[in-house]
Amino acid sequence: MSDLDTRLLQAHAADDKPTLVALYEEAADSAGTDLEAACFYLTHAYVFALELGHPHAPQLHQKLCVQGRES
Amino acid sequence: MAQQTSDLSAVRRSVDTAQGLSNDHYINPAFFEEEKQAVLFATWSGLAVASDVPEPGDAVPMTFLGMPLLLIRDKDGDVRVFYNTCRHRGMILVDEPRKIEGAIRCPYHSWCYSTKGNLVTTPHVGGPGQNTHTAINRDELGLNEVRSHIWRDVVFINISGDAPDFADMHADLIKRWAEHEKPLYHGGQNSKFQLAVETNWKLAVENYCESYHLPWVHPGLNSYSRLEDHYNIAEAGKFSGQGTLVYRQLKDENGNTFPDFDGLSSYWDEGAEYITVYPNVLLGAQRDHAFAIVLEPQEMAKTVEHIHLYYATPTTDEGLRTTNSQMWKTVFEEDIFVVQGMQRGRHSPGFDGGRFSPAMDGPTHCFHEWVAGRIESYRSLKTAAE
Repeated sequence: MSDLDTRLLQAHAADDKPTLVALYEEAADSAGTDLEAACFYLTHAYVFALELGHPHAPQLHQKLCVQGRES
Repeated sequence: MAQQTSDLSAVRRSVDTAQGLSNDHYINPAFFEEEKQAVLFATWSGLAVASDVPEPGDAVPMTFLGMPLLLIRDKDGDVRVFYNTCRHRGMILVDEPRKIEGAIRCPYHSWCYSTKGNLVTTPHVGGPGQNTHTAINRDELGLNEVRSHIWRDVVFINISGDAPDFADMHADLIKRWAEHEKPLYHGGQNSKFQLAVETNWKLAVENYCESYHLPWVHPGLNSYSRLEDHYNIAEAGKFSGQGTLVYRQLKDENGNTFPDFDGLSSYWDEGAEYITVYPNVLLGAQRDHAFAIVLEPQEMAKTVEHIHLYYATPTTDEGLRTTNSQMWKTVFEEDIFVVQGMQRGRHSPGFDGGRFSPAMDGPTHCFHEWVAGRIESYRSLKTAAE
């Protein structure tokens, strides 16, 4: 299990949503050319950002829209 | 459900010959189911108070006659009531009172809704990482909203969705208390309390509407507010209650009182009124404070009274508020044994609904007649539809 996986599990266990936003953004960035994986992680980052009213929500939404994954 | 029968014509006679609603209306579960549809869902029932959600994003899940509801103050400050159910798989959305910082996220598949009920995202609905699908029209899948209206801080809901507008249905009462259309400031934590009573909700209304019992059940109150100082309020088909001509302000040891509501006429110097907004909200209007009691009909013979006290100014003396809350709590607790006793009494087969005092029970009969009218209309519509 990667360090990122471990940190994600810890953040889920702690219900630490600001950290979940950051870690899923990090996971999307580290997906490289795997667009499907990147959009999967971006979706999770976006959902938690929406729930929190997090300032990154608009830009995450925009990124997903650009890829045709969100409306 | 089989058609219920009970002789409602006897209830609808004039007060001097009328019988009260029969036992079935208090102890028969089939009648309770009928009453839900005919009375509680078809009109404007009290659910809560807007002060339960003081700030934008505040959300409180609640249950009304088994239905899961969500009381929320949206981002623009408007109080709304939604069914607390995700449009996807019917999951309960909010399990405990909390602040919605951004969106309401369903804990199951994370569909997210704005505080106004709009569906804002549907993660992976089109497959992993694809959050849209042509079959999922978000505009059609917002939270189901319950029709609501706020008056005197009480959140009223119309479950059937087809009652006349609240302001039309209660126009006469709103007009009667037009002088009291002032900002009401909830007294805060020490100005709200609940009483759980083993009774049908209607008996709490009936007891509240009349002053006949005051000298017997509230002897302390009677020392300064005697029976002969009260008058009946009974507007057929609309509302009922009682008034007093000797309202006395609470004073602390230094003679301080609560500030008055601005601009009241001299009638209210010593006048006060206590009226039921049919079906289940008991209101009090006085020169220096008001109260609202929302009766939560949990079961046929189980009711929770949610009591809230309000003042004319945002801040008032905490000690005086505490004393006032305790005084009202004592009064309302004194009523518990009678509403519970009347409930137990309705298991007596020989009880025929009872006879009213034409002089003293007009407000109670007014309520019975209104309930009977709602039920008769419901039965007629049901018969016509069959």
